[in-house]
This record gives sequence, structure tokens and C-alpha cells, in this order.
Amino acid sequence: MHNFDILLICASPRRKGTSAMLLERIKNLIGGEIVFLNQKGSFDELIKKMQKAKTIVVSGPTYINTYPARLFELLEKEASNYKFSNQKLYGIINGGMPYVHTHEHGLSYLRLFAKENNLTWMGGFVLGGGAILDGQPLEKHLNHKKVVPLFDQFIYCIEKGISASKELYEKAEVAIPKCITYLISKALTYKVIKSLKKYGHNPDDLIYYLKCEKEN
Amino acid sequence: MLITIILDDSKNNLADIIRESIEKTTNEVVIFKANDLNVEPCLACSSCSGKTYGRCVLEDDMQKILPQIVRSEKIILVSPIIYGGVGFHIKKIMDRISAVGDPRYYMKNVELVKKMRIKNLKYYMIGIKENLTFEEELLFIKLHEENIKIMDVEGKAFIVENSSDNDSVEKIFKEIIYA
Repeated sequence: MHNFDILLICASPRRKGTSAMLLERIKNLIGGEIVFLNQKGSFDELIKKMQKAKTIVVSGPTYINTYPARLFELLEKEASNYKFSNQKLYGIINGGMPYVHTHEHGLSYLRLFAKENNLTWMGGFVLGGGAILDGQPLEKHLNHKKVVPLFDQFIYCIEKGISASKELYEKAEVAIPKCITYLISKALTYKVIKSLKKYGHNPDDLIYYLKCEKEN
Repeated sequence: MLITIILDDSKNNLADIIRESIEKTTNEVVIFKANDLNVEPCLACSSCSGKTYGRCVLEDDMQKILPQIVRSEKIILVSPIIYGGVGFHIKKIMDRISAVGDPRYYMKNVELVKKMRIKNLKYYMIGIKENLTFEEELLFIKLHEENIKIMDVEGKAFIVENSSDNDSVEKIFKEIIYA
């Protein structure tokens, strides 16, 4: 589908990760142009596209509870110098932790950006447990039975240009019982340690930056 | 007791006030000016939790900051408040601190959390903005609360509404140093 009124901005440095996959899903259903946020250089071209678009969707991962620094740089340094004309702004944020509260700051950040820069905030979607997907289709999400229809409802809101209620992503959150949480932590830790050992490291090794201090 | 202060004074002139306040109380302090440093955004290459465990492969000024951070008992991030978050100079450094995070998962209060590899680290944020709205103040504090939850560290967020108010800045630093 071609719909150049919708600009889909991927705020992840990873071009094949979950943030990009979610934009692909939107593009396949309602169209739009996917643009990757460059990690270096000027934002001029992207800003021009943002100004021309009628609808902007930002999708990015959670780095320490909100969007990555490069999106902050775009919105703080460049975007506030340009004029917007009531573009509709939607946000998507995804991260490994299965809780809404871990990631939700990113959406509030976008909402305030919209308010201060003459864009219209239309709501967003928080996807927990997203990093485990590692770019695989949403159907592979652990909670796919709930998440897939709710995310597609969010896409419907973008298509119709209506506000997306936070209820959509709140409903997609699963309450995980204590024993399962414990098992997940053990399983994920097992994977981490296995990968470290592959490279000859131990999780409790002396921190690299302390080592160089000693050697100096 | 080493304290590392990382500040972005591109929108205020806090650097000198902070240096004065802190030197009155302690001399074990390192100050980095985030807005004068060359720090690239994190590439999510995950080398720091794999091949080069604990080491970031990006060769920029972060290689000067990380050796200080791992020796610190307290980190203080001083940032303008922008859209309820921190400024991008500080955010770049926050994203890159994950290089010294513990890649394992833990459970705390029935939730999954991560930890830092630096033992007993205390983590503070000082946000600066004039005419701050209540909503922005809440968001900034909420961000810090989530940060300490996910890193499983202690700490506190502070707000400075008037960056030339030396007394309130000094009071905040005293509180942090004696905490």
C-alpha cells in the first residue's frame, strides 16, 4: 500500500528489530513510509518529511525507561526550531520488561513534545515483552492472543485518524504470578550466562573499567 | 567516597555554582560537562553483554566517563527538563551506562529487574527548568523512580526552578553528599 501522508519513524538503531517490525505491520495494513532515524549527521531531510506528513508514528525501543537518546536529540535540538501544522502524532514504545510502567514515560515525552510544538497528540501503544521478539512477527509474542488484536485496533485508530485510548495497551499487559516471574528471571539469566561463557566471560568477572584503572 | 557529576549546562550556567557548592563539602568529585563531550548514541550492538562483556566498543569520551562511574559511590546527573525527560546530552550518557549494567535478571517486589555491577551505587537526578508545569515535574520524577527500580539502586530526584538560586543548589548537594 502507498500512503505517503503517513510517516513511520523508526527510532531504533536496529533496522530489523521489534520497533521496525511494528512499523512494517502498520505499513502492510494501512500504508505509509518507513524512515529510520540516522545515528549520525543532519536531521534536515527527516524534518522536511515530518512537516509534509499528515500523520507521524514514532516507534522505538525503551532504553532506561524511555526512548533512546537519538530521538531526544531530534525532538529537542532540531524539531523545536521548525514549525509544525497540527500533524497527528502517535507513539509506540517497546521493551523487554513485560510491564507498562517501565516504558510509559516515552509516550508522555512525545505527548509533551506535541503540545509544545503544534502537533496533535493522538495516543500511543506500549508493548512489553517486545525485545524477546527480536524483530519476529507480533504473532510470536508470548501474549499474542491479546496483543495482536489490540495492536491492530491501534493501527485502525491511525487509519481513521482517531485518538488511541491507553486502554488498548493496558489490556495487552499480563499480570505475571510470582512463581512465573521467578522462572522467567532464571530462564533469561541462564541465556545471558550461556552467551557470556561462549565468549569466555563470567558474569562476576571484575568490571573491565576497574581493571584498566589497576593496570594504569 | 567518589562522586561523579555529569551535567548539561547548555541551557543554564549551573556548572560554576555546582563546582563551588560541591567543593565546600567534598573534594572527591569528578565533574563531566556532557554538552562539551563527544558521546555517540548507543548502537544496541549488545557487545557489552557478550563479546566484550562490560566494555563499550564505541571509542569516544564515554571511555573517560565509565572508569570514573565504576569507582563512584554516587552518580549525579544534572539536566535541563525537556518534555518531562532529560536533555539529549545526558540521555546519551544514560543509555551508554548500560555497558556496566548486570545483564542478568532478578526478581524484586514480584517484578523482573536488572542491577548495576557497581556495588551500592546511589543514583541522583537534578532537573532544571523555569516555569515548570506540575505535569512535567511529575514526569521527570517518575522517570527517575523507574530508573532506580530497573537498576535496583537507591537515589532521589530533585528539581531546581531557578538555576541562579545558589542556596537551593547548595542545599541539594549537601543532602546528596550526607545521604
